[in-house]
Amino acid sequence: MRILVLNSGSSSVKYKFFDTGKRLCLAEGQVERIGLPGSLLHHKRFDGDRIRTGVEALDHGKAIEIVIAVLMSENHGVISEKGEIEAVGHRVAHGGERLTESALITDEVRKAIHDCIELAPLHNPHNLRGIDACKQLLPDIPQVAVFDTAFHHTMPASSYIYAVPYILYRRYGIRRYGFHGTSHRYVAGRTAELMRRELASLNVITCHLGNGCSVAAIKKGKSIDTSMGFTPLEGLVMGTRCGDIDPALVLYVMSKENLTVAEATAMLNKHSGLVGISGISSDMREIENQAERGEERAKLALEVFTYRVKKYIGAYAAAMGGVDAVTFTGGIGSNSAIVRAKSLDGLEFLGINLDVERNRGAIGVDSEISSSQSRTKVYTVFTNEELVIALDTERIVSSLEHQRR
Amino acid sequence: MPVRKIFVAGAGTVGQGIAEAAASAGIEVVLSDIDERHLDIAINGIEASLNSLIERWAITASEKRTILSRIQPVVGLKNSEDCEFAIEAVPEQLDIKKQVFREFDRNFDAQTILVSTTSTLNITEIGRVTRRQDRVVGMHFPFPIVKTAVVEVVRALKTSDRTFEAAKDLVVQMGREVVEVNEYPGYITTRVMVPFINEAIHALMEGIATAEAIDKAIKLGFGFPIGPLELADTLGLDDLMILMESLYKELGDLKYKPCPLLRRMVRDGYVGKKVGKGFFTYMNGSGNHADTGS
Repeated sequence: MRILVLNSGSSSVKYKFFDTGKRLCLAEGQVERIGLPGSLLHHKRFDGDRIRTGVEALDHGKAIEIVIAVLMSENHGVISEKGEIEAVGHRVAHGGERLTESALITDEVRKAIHDCIELAPLHNPHNLRGIDACKQLLPDIPQVAVFDTAFHHTMPASSYIYAVPYILYRRYGIRRYGFHGTSHRYVAGRTAELMRRELASLNVITCHLGNGCSVAAIKKGKSIDTSMGFTPLEGLVMGTRCGDIDPALVLYVMSKENLTVAEATAMLNKHSGLVGISGISSDMREIENQAERGEERAKLALEVFTYRVKKYIGAYAAAMGGVDAVTFTGGIGSNSAIVRAKSLDGLEFLGINLDVERNRGAIGVDSEISSSQSRTKVYTVFTNEELVIALDTERIVSSLEHQRR
Repeated sequence: MPVRKIFVAGAGTVGQGIAEAAASAGIEVVLSDIDERHLDIAINGIEASLNSLIERWAITASEKRTILSRIQPVVGLKNSEDCEFAIEAVPEQLDIKKQVFREFDRNFDAQTILVSTTSTLNITEIGRVTRRQDRVVGMHFPFPIVKTAVVEVVRALKTSDRTFEAAKDLVVQMGREVVEVNEYPGYITTRVMVPFINEAIHALMEGIATAEAIDKAIKLGFGFPIGPLELADTLGLDDLMILMESLYKELGDLKYKPCPLLRRMVRDGYVGKKVGKGFFTYMNGSGNHADTGS
């Protein structure tokens, strides 16, 4: 099935166009600076053909029109008419408590996504814009929403309830939701594949370390806990986000520095994490370079970052009563041998033995990086959320067609 | 459709505030003044304001660069294409505002909405010099513009509903709440606040309490974030006196008559935060008063 996967952000639309039968991404790219002067289209075809061109994209509708046009373009396209797009899969940030699995977008589902805007004010409105634009541009083509939160819906209440007045859960839906669900799900599945075992027989800890960072405890194929919480701010140290902190410090700093809610929010989301500790950069590559040169604060940032990962691995091993595999993914997780090594340092008691050479040599491919004797396996995997979205879309749309027959 | 580009005439405090607020909301701004020197001062002022936001962690350095890149300084009231709004933020004098509106009318596309930021002058009268009185509207940005979350959108006599709605949409796009007001001297914010501040100055002059005590009582007693005397220092006592005299002249009521102590302080040059001394003394413009003055 030929499926267009869309990730609609505030001023960009990212796309990948799949042939799921061949498991092939035919084309991918993005429209940037939507609604701003100087909108740009980047487009890449499977055979390496690339273009980068200025476009007029006043809104998401116009941007998706441009995406469809370039997919059909004679010189750079991969299809000859709109009808060859058989379905559209959308990445949607927040599904709340009701949308717990990927769903065909009906009026009811659209409304439920809309109801979650308050939980994800920076993402869901833009996701909806993409959905509405597709409904207009491709009215007869089924659309599916795949939620970043859905995979974690299997968490027990003991994982998702915060120890604050229970009425806040009832009143505002304050609980742990978790994010990066599609990535954790893909990576756990890929880990089982690499181990040649059934996921349902494994305890896996997946570490998604990218722009945002989160860890998930996946017990027999189900997420039972994850480090991101009510928002993506909780848990690990990230490029610019603080992760776990004492909540009292926020109130203390707000009163000391006379900060508004917006200022405090920006402080925790944009000025903390690696850049906050180091004062140098939010980019782990830069932190590693500076740490190597002996820059103290960069070293400290690296230490705090990896210590936090280690703590979560220990915690989740305990939560699951043991761990069969730890898998790293995301920009940092897939590429930084130093971060992986430091995060696992001293975890031999959990049966984890990293193979130094394999760890260093794991570049650009999914691979095992633990030693042959390691009781607990360690992998590095390139995540592929878009493929999951395409496959979910295919499954849902096929069953729909099946029902119709 | 969101607004993409606006023109702001006058790069003083008000013009800078509007330019910064609009650019922060993703709107392209053409900021105009009479010469390069004024524009340099304005850009430096906006940069300093953005730097203070970085220090308070409100924005990042890259966000600052993006915001500044949206502000294009130009000399004179040249026609600038695609500007959906032309906003005057020139000194609060009728003749100057009229002159700017005349040039706006001549230079800008017929669809462009003309905005006056006056708080005491008559917008209908300013608009009368144009051939598009239905596309004339007022926007009063209370001071300090960058921090204040409300804008009074003012309907002049001939403002069309479409213009009024478009003006409200622009304010919302700039991340602020709208309060609709009809044209009348002082609108809400100036009209209500000015006699309040004046009364506090009277209380000080009559020796009821110290400046610190007056502000403390009002702040804690009524949950105001800032006391009336510090607010006066923030607005500038000279500007405050101009507002009062204008209201006094327009409305003729004694309650708008500037308190003698206010007059004396303006005469002595103690006009508030901008000079480091008003009712309170300020250290290097930090905004925190160090000790009581007056």
